[in-house]
Amino acid sequence: MAVPSSDKAATTSEAKPEQKDAQQQQKKSAAALEEDDEFEDFPVEDWPAEETEAATTTTGGNGTTKHLWEESWDDDDTSDDFSAQLREELKKVEASKRR
Amino acid sequence: MSWAASAPPGIQQPAAAYYSQPSNAAYTAVPLRQGFSQAYQAQTQYSYTAPANPPPPATTVPTATASDQQSQKIEWPQSVRDYVQRTFQKSSDIVGISGAEVQAKLKDVIRYTQDCGIMHTTDWSQMPSPQQMIQAERQQALMASISSPAAPDHTATAKAKVNPKKRKSTDLNEPDQLGSTVPWRSTKDLSLEDRISKPATDMRSLMDGPLPAKSKSQKNAEKRQRRGDGGYQSSYRSPSPPPLKGPIVGLNEKLEKKFFRLTAAPKAQDVRPERILHQTLDMLKKKWRKEGNYNFICDQFKSLRQDLTVQHIRNEFTVSVYEIHARIALEKGDLGEYNQCQTQLRALYMAGIKGNSIEFKAYRILYFIHTANRTALNDAIADLTTAEKEEQPVKHALNVRSALALGNYHKFFQLYLDVPNMGAYLMDMFVKRERLAALANMCKAFKPDLKLRYITEELAFESDAESAQFIIDYDQDLLLEREDHIVFLTGKAGQRFEEARGEAFRRVDLKGQI
Amino acid sequence: MDSLIKEFNAAYAAMKGDQLAETIHPDIERYSHKLRAIWDRGDLRSTTADLNFLFYQDKSHANLSKAEATGWFEIYLTYWKAVGEILAAEGLRGNVKGSWTQVYVKWKELTLLIIRGYSHYEFENWTIPCLYVAGKYLRLYAMRADAEKSSSNDDTAMTGFQDDFDPEAEENKQLEDCARHLNRIFQICLTDRAPLEESRKWGVYYAINLLFKTYFKLNSEPLSKNVLKAISAGRSDIPLIDKFPKSQQVTFKYYEGVLSFLEENYVEAEKHLTMAWLMCHRDAQRNLELILTYLIPCHLLTTHTLPSAQLLEPFPRLQKLFIPLANAIKGADLRAFDHALRDGEDEFIKRRIYLTLERGRDIALRNLLRKVFVAGGFEESKDGAPPVRRTRIPIAEFTAAIKISSGEDIDADEVECLMANMIYKNLMKGYIAHERGFVVLSKNGAFPGTNV
Repeated sequence: MAVPSSDKAATTSEAKPEQKDAQQQQKKSAAALEEDDEFEDFPVEDWPAEETEAATTTTGGNGTTKHLWEESWDDDDTSDDFSAQLREELKKVEASKRR
Repeated sequence: MSWAASAPPGIQQPAAAYYSQPSNAAYTAVPLRQGFSQAYQAQTQYSYTAPANPPPPATTVPTATASDQQSQKIEWPQSVRDYVQRTFQKSSDIVGISGAEVQAKLKDVIRYTQDCGIMHTTDWSQMPSPQQMIQAERQQALMASISSPAAPDHTATAKAKVNPKKRKSTDLNEPDQLGSTVPWRSTKDLSLEDRISKPATDMRSLMDGPLPAKSKSQKNAEKRQRRGDGGYQSSYRSPSPPPLKGPIVGLNEKLEKKFFRLTAAPKAQDVRPERILHQTLDMLKKKWRKEGNYNFICDQFKSLRQDLTVQHIRNEFTVSVYEIHARIALEKGDLGEYNQCQTQLRALYMAGIKGNSIEFKAYRILYFIHTANRTALNDAIADLTTAEKEEQPVKHALNVRSALALGNYHKFFQLYLDVPNMGAYLMDMFVKRERLAALANMCKAFKPDLKLRYITEELAFESDAESAQFIIDYDQDLLLEREDHIVFLTGKAGQRFEEARGEAFRRVDLKGQI
Repeated sequence: MDSLIKEFNAAYAAMKGDQLAETIHPDIERYSHKLRAIWDRGDLRSTTADLNFLFYQDKSHANLSKAEATGWFEIYLTYWKAVGEILAAEGLRGNVKGSWTQVYVKWKELTLLIIRGYSHYEFENWTIPCLYVAGKYLRLYAMRADAEKSSSNDDTAMTGFQDDFDPEAEENKQLEDCARHLNRIFQICLTDRAPLEESRKWGVYYAINLLFKTYFKLNSEPLSKNVLKAISAGRSDIPLIDKFPKSQQVTFKYYEGVLSFLEENYVEAEKHLTMAWLMCHRDAQRNLELILTYLIPCHLLTTHTLPSAQLLEPFPRLQKLFIPLANAIKGADLRAFDHALRDGEDEFIKRRIYLTLERGRDIALRNLLRKVFVAGGFEESKDGAPPVRRTRIPIAEFTAAIKISSGEDIDADEVECLMANMIYKNLMKGYIAHERGFVVLSKNGAFPGTNV
């Protein structure tokens, strides 16, 4: 249209509720990526080794080393269950093949 | 040595050239078509010549300074007074437009030119009357309400059937094909839905039947790979001229306009008002379909976008302009323009302006897969709502992403065969490197060999010939003929494809990336 | 101003940088009284006169060179103006309305003057804590100014003639501007050629950490990489990082680790993040949590290990984030894995760990295939030889197992593809005999690192 000012008024009034929504959403998602993801300033500049996490890790309260990581696999005692289930499923597969 | 280089053009028995050694001429188990050699010859040609650089900037036009504006505020020039008089003549009346509306519009027009400091430079004798403006606005609103519900899928044309894997920009979102100027036809014509192209033809049937010529998609992909950015990358953003006080009001009534990069505020008489721009868009769509001259179309779209920008027009029409230009640029592999459009579209959608946001969000994901930009990919996913993730095109793009993340080439190539909208143009950009990755993978895992047909099927080649060529391009000694089939010597090929894979991922083509 | 300059003189005489930096501290919560007192003392003229007297005529203060005096005179005059803007922006100046944009502009002026102190007015290196305070608050005010702008919702994005710009960049206009000035702080520290004990190079890591925080907020990791490149080139003359205060070391290692993480360089990432973790103050729970957020996915991919209950114990948020996934991986439960990934998707995406965690599915799958192998039992042993596991396993068995675990149908081609991946990634040793429809697993260590 020749006169964008009126045009603009028309579209903004039309688009306003959504626009607001979209902006809020956008802010949400933008903020979501940033918000409280920022590494915090430490209240003190420096500290002795005894106050580091490493110190608490090696002497987990009672002087033993903390166990931090563990294997991602498991030799569980249900492996018999699993093989039973597997045999069951294989039978089904065989059966459907014969059909 | 590649087959393309050694084969004489128009060879009748291309099977002989399947391997470069003539002793292997017996490999006729997989017949090869003439299209094969032609397709490879096409590699040496460029689809279109490099375009001219953007024309030099327009000569600068001094704008009215702030002090000018102030002194002019009090008195209207004669031309304006004439315009006001004309407005209130009986002959200007249009049925259905009230006097109050006319007055309000008139005020807007005058105040506007005054605010912009263009009151004196405006050719008031050519200015449409307020009544005409109101009428045009109403028509436009009507048209928008008709064309917006047209989903892209409803308008596939017969063209899509030629290459069912891929839609073209001309197949998409063409409200005028629905007769959008006539509201009552829009619903009736939805029967066009019946003409939606069928999903991708089954690969297996393709291979058992006569082998087709190299698909258009493949040719395009190769062209794109060779061509780089296609020369359309726009020049880097130059420092912007000082911002205008307010948007300009266009007075140019011509449909076509060459693009000039502005270095100063444009003259109102050079800028086309939105009413004209609507006609321009229709004209460009028709021309694109008929002539397909991308140089011309791209230039015209740029000037169209510029006219929208300087007039601060941000509505559904703006969205459709960017969408259409983005699709055309995508089809022509012009990533520079495509990206500019995508950036603006993202902002427009975010501002709540309606368009085909799902389609373009899906492209966005595919594009970041191509550029291997993990951060951008993460952000693109973060932008999606739960509902959007369930929409087919977005879902497809996300599935492509996760298939690749988990090395599931089987799933990836199935998704490649069935891409919504124009996503295949984007997938073509990285399908080659994913084939190399898959081959490297298969070579390590499958021993001692694999039937060539298995490769063809798993990696979605269009024919055994095509997959054979793909392998031969890396090494001629990796295929072997058995009684009735050809095998790929996986045990021997691992090293070669591991290297090729590494190479392909190192130089992800980032041209045109913002 | 009097008392302020007294503090200045004391700090200067003692050459105490931290104490000096306190005199230009703008924290309204900490120094509400002081800031008001400074502002209420007088107008521009009287303040200028005061400062003139204190810096140029009063000879009682410490051994300032003429250049230094000029530098500090300008700094305190600008500080006074900035305090006025801050009070206005906080609504503490009656009906004088202020804005964070104006605060930013004034504080930027102050920052530039301090930088200028080093390039023009002979400021010594012990005063760099002033740069820290300037940079820290410059960033804060830039963010406030941007937030203020976006909430006032003006149409600034459409002021040009071209459409080839990124409208989103406009949202962080001041912060982008701020990044350039922080970079100047970094440069003025980095390029000091004085002997190490008098060098501003001791300010490098503080400046870098400010830059990292800013670039992360601007989503501009490549710029962070540039900073790393700049110090790796000149690394020899920057003091070793372990000579810096632990707060700076930990912050730097955290960002360096996350940068490697985002580039999928998980081995490097694990190295840096582990250092950050070990050195972090044990009471900085939030920072420890942040470090682990990235360290845990790293561990999953590099060593295929999962966090222990003990490790997660103090962090309920991390428990919620990782335990369902960890259980699914351990239990070789593909369906549970897919659910856990979907349930946590928003949070994972937000933390930018989704794309990494997703790859944990490989580990769950490895565990599942391993179960098939274990369930296959042993071959008949010959002549009392130690029993050998069955190593030829039909694809159909794996297919059945994946169906059970994922609850979805899957065809043999896709199963072979997944197995090929396992082999390719060294999670499984063996090969696929496609035509014959079975997998031949390695007799020694078919699933490396898992005792079989």
